[in-house]
Amino acid sequence: MKNRIRIIDNATGQPVEAELFDEVTVEHFIETQQEWRPIVLKAARQLAARGSHQLIPQHFHWDWTTKAPELNVLANTFYGIRYENKLQGLMKLETVGQFCSCRLPEQAGNALVYVDYVEVAPWNLKPLMSSLGEKARYNAIGSRLIEAAVLKSKEEDCKGRIGLHSLPITESFYAKACRMTPVGRDPAKQNLLWLEYTPEQAENFLTGAR
Amino acid sequence: MADKRTMTLNLTDQEMSLLEELSARRDVSKTALLRQALRLYQMVEVRLSRGEKLFFEDEQKKKAELVVV
Amino acid sequence: MKFNSDPEWLKRQAALEDNCFVSVGGLVSAVEDLEQQSQQAITSRAVFVNLLNLTRREHELSWEQFSQKLDVDLTELIGIANDESYKPTPRTVTKIAHFLHVPAEKLFILSGLARAHDRQFQEAALRFAARSQPVKALSSEEHEALKEFVKFLCER
Repeated sequence: MKNRIRIIDNATGQPVEAELFDEVTVEHFIETQQEWRPIVLKAARQLAARGSHQLIPQHFHWDWTTKAPELNVLANTFYGIRYENKLQGLMKLETVGQFCSCRLPEQAGNALVYVDYVEVAPWNLKPLMSSLGEKARYNAIGSRLIEAAVLKSKEEDCKGRIGLHSLPITESFYAKACRMTPVGRDPAKQNLLWLEYTPEQAENFLTGAR
Repeated sequence: MADKRTMTLNLTDQEMSLLEELSARRDVSKTALLRQALRLYQMVEVRLSRGEKLFFEDEQKKKAELVVV
Repeated sequence: MKFNSDPEWLKRQAALEDNCFVSVGGLVSAVEDLEQQSQQAITSRAVFVNLLNLTRREHELSWEQFSQKLDVDLTELIGIANDESYKPTPRTVTKIAHFLHVPAEKLFILSGLARAHDRQFQEAALRFAARSQPVKALSSEEHEALKEFVKFLCER
């Protein structure tokens, strides 16, 4: 599957056409290691030197290549966003597994699509690029990936229901920018905040209805 | 979404009741539920083939290994 | 899949996403490691303070007398005992180790100056923490706990 989508080019503030695809391969994982990781590490070092420990991206040692064996498992779906021949974001979804059940009382036990991993290319993260004295290049990558997760949920008859565990540092994105419902801390997952969409909330996110 | 193929599935009354009950509980169609079940089966198979074990854990954290044949 | 093609929706989302961190999952596993490390540090530090307290009481010394015995500045000792963020100097930790007749490197780990990857060590420290109450009079049980823990530190 390949879809033409638009993301925002920060240099102009205008939309540009990118590609969202699900045929993610090991080569994409290797690309993240080669292209993304050195920048994340460099930014982490800068932030540490300045004492801005709270801004250090905690995924600095994350390695997508360890996920290679999961590529051929049908319970997993991977999405990537490509623009200017570079990977701008990557996401892994689970349609089956221990976290694929809703927790909000009104839909408890219903099936959902679990957002297992999301990463946006470091050059698109403003707090990171500021530490290197540079500007973030593209915007709305995270929103496009969450949109893809909701559309996948609809395809799977989960009606837009998705759920994920958020870190404190990403809570504002999922709770405010995506308006997912914070359900509570999950003791089974390092007390991270569990957030999910009801079908109505998912639809509101897709259409932009307030 | 990948192209789909259609098949006819014969189920006993009990199996059909279970399918209806589970799909209602999960709020998905019967087709979606069966597709999820198939994926779950594959996930278990893949992990077992890697030498991993499948356990259920009760509230007292007692673990019971599930043998998949 | 039908993505939203409304440029206004996109611009709104971009504005909301601006300045946000987005990554989950990869972060989660990293945070699990970080949290384990920090919990380990907190536990070890509490054990170090307990050990110091019990040793002082075992020898029936005031903090002042204890600091003289150790040849360590009193403010340094009070800092260790009362302030979780206080980082003792390696010299102080070495002095305490000599007084207790335990290897200094073990106390470096307990004091938070070094990190342990040894499960047995962490478990022994936890057992000691669970059995000792730093503010009450030294009970026979605490006396045993102290003896057992110091023995464990010396043996390994």
